[in-house]
Amino acid sequence: MEAKRKILAIDDEEDIRFILKEELTDEGYEVHTLGDPTQALDKIEEVQPDLILLDIKMPQLSGIELLGLIRDKYYDLPVILLTAYNSFKRDIASVACDHYVVKSGDLTELKERIKKIFRTRV
Amino acid sequence: MDKGCFALPDEDRAFLESLGEADILIGIPSFNNAETIGHVVEAVRIGHARYYPDRQVVLINSDGGSTDGTREVVLPTLERDIPAASLVKKPEKPMRGRSVIYQGIPGKGSAFRAIFEAARVLKAKACAVFDSDLRSITPEWVQLLVAPVLEKGYGYVCPFYRRHKYDGTITNSIAYPLTRALYGRRVRQPIGGDFGFSGELVCRYLQKDVWETDVARFGIDIWMTTTAMVEGFRICQSFMGAKIHDVKDPGADLGPMFEQVVGTIFTLMRENDGKWKSVVGSRPTAIFGFQSEVSPRPLRVDAKRMIRKFEEGFDENRPYYATFLSDDCFSKLSEVREMCPEIADFPKVLWVKTIYNFAARYQVEPDRKRLLGSLIPLYFGYVTSFIRETEAYDDYRAEEVVEELCEIYEDTKPYLLQQWREKGCEG
Repeated sequence: MEAKRKILAIDDEEDIRFILKEELTDEGYEVHTLGDPTQALDKIEEVQPDLILLDIKMPQLSGIELLGLIRDKYYDLPVILLTAYNSFKRDIASVACDHYVVKSGDLTELKERIKKIFRTRV
Repeated sequence: MDKGCFALPDEDRAFLESLGEADILIGIPSFNNAETIGHVVEAVRIGHARYYPDRQVVLINSDGGSTDGTREVVLPTLERDIPAASLVKKPEKPMRGRSVIYQGIPGKGSAFRAIFEAARVLKAKACAVFDSDLRSITPEWVQLLVAPVLEKGYGYVCPFYRRHKYDGTITNSIAYPLTRALYGRRVRQPIGGDFGFSGELVCRYLQKDVWETDVARFGIDIWMTTTAMVEGFRICQSFMGAKIHDVKDPGADLGPMFEQVVGTIFTLMRENDGKWKSVVGSRPTAIFGFQSEVSPRPLRVDAKRMIRKFEEGFDENRPYYATFLSDDCFSKLSEVREMCPEIADFPKVLWVKTIYNFAARYQVEPDRKRLLGSLIPLYFGYVTSFIRETEAYDDYRAEEVVEELCEIYEDTKPYLLQQWREKGCEG
């Protein structure tokens, strides 16, 4: 049997982590969550995810900054930025993510983006 | 491997050998850039003093035989004291420099070949090249292109600029999206003109037998980027701010540059077809640099002239297109032509299919110059449609339209594979 794809969702809001975990587990993924972005690099090392979902606006460390740290160490690890604000697309550092998804109650776009990444990247 | 110099004259090679080794080599290709090159040299000198004062840095101006005094500007600028206003101390190791007249086919690529040869002679660890018509270069650009190589082990550094939505239309409509769809790497400015690269990559470039082709001309940028990608060098981007240079209206004469860039992309497709065919989707590329809200200069475009060129060029080439374009592509292009002079929409998917038809045809076409020339009117048609679509958009929103085009290039790749097979391009 093929191993489940592992997703690490990093978001400081517990509700969002809960929804992502529920919905994406239902899609057949193994979902890990993290509320404190400063622990992200350790968590990535521990979980070895196939993809990261990364919130942008977090008090301890912004997702954009964290993206730079992730890219530095994990050159090709897929990262999807999640945010409530479309304006973050204007931050040049966001080009280092695979996709940028504006948060909404409907996770259809996010699920499609995840599927596309797993379809195109081994 | 032949380690001789071909583009670098003997006396210049001897001079460089007398310098010993260098940590960093900065190359500035030029041809009649007397008005702007002094500013570029000055920025590089201050960049050296500010960021790498204890490193041995050599600057090479590789000139194509300028008649406007370009070379006469370079050496005095190098020898002058660094202006006190720049607030940097004199570097521990002064910058050495040389202005050379490269040998070979006249063109930017030959100028680069001389720079590569100089880098090899000097055993440079990192190199950066800057266009000589840059008006927006700052000393920081030196660090932005060199540091990822020296300090982070990257092999190739591409620039990432803020550009006006109508600047760089060959990049936006062909070079970026096609390269991204083919090789699966998102490098936003693959023909940006200013790059950083490692000494190891220089040696790889010099091993290639390409110097009698369009790579010796304007094909050099896309060739460097593609070679770095397919040979597995680690690539990153650096945010350089706005690119302000001698911009041109995309409707103005662009023939040789268009043909050399696009022809080089198509040629590389054949050479690398074992590398791109299996690639699906694309991956982002790391980016460095500090974001500042810089606005590129507005660029006025003459859309009416482009429409006229599309109409005239399409009518002239219509029988030729019919000989090789797929039926669906030809009939849809004819529909777009019928809508003139109001091209309400040149569908993106049609543009992508057109490019894929041309790319496949190029591999078997006896008269490649004619083929590439006949693509130009269609390019004008697509660019006009892009301009109309983005008229009311700011540069950021227009960038989303480019992104949309990129995804269509990626999603339509099976069509390219089909064209590749049907037109007999298999290697």
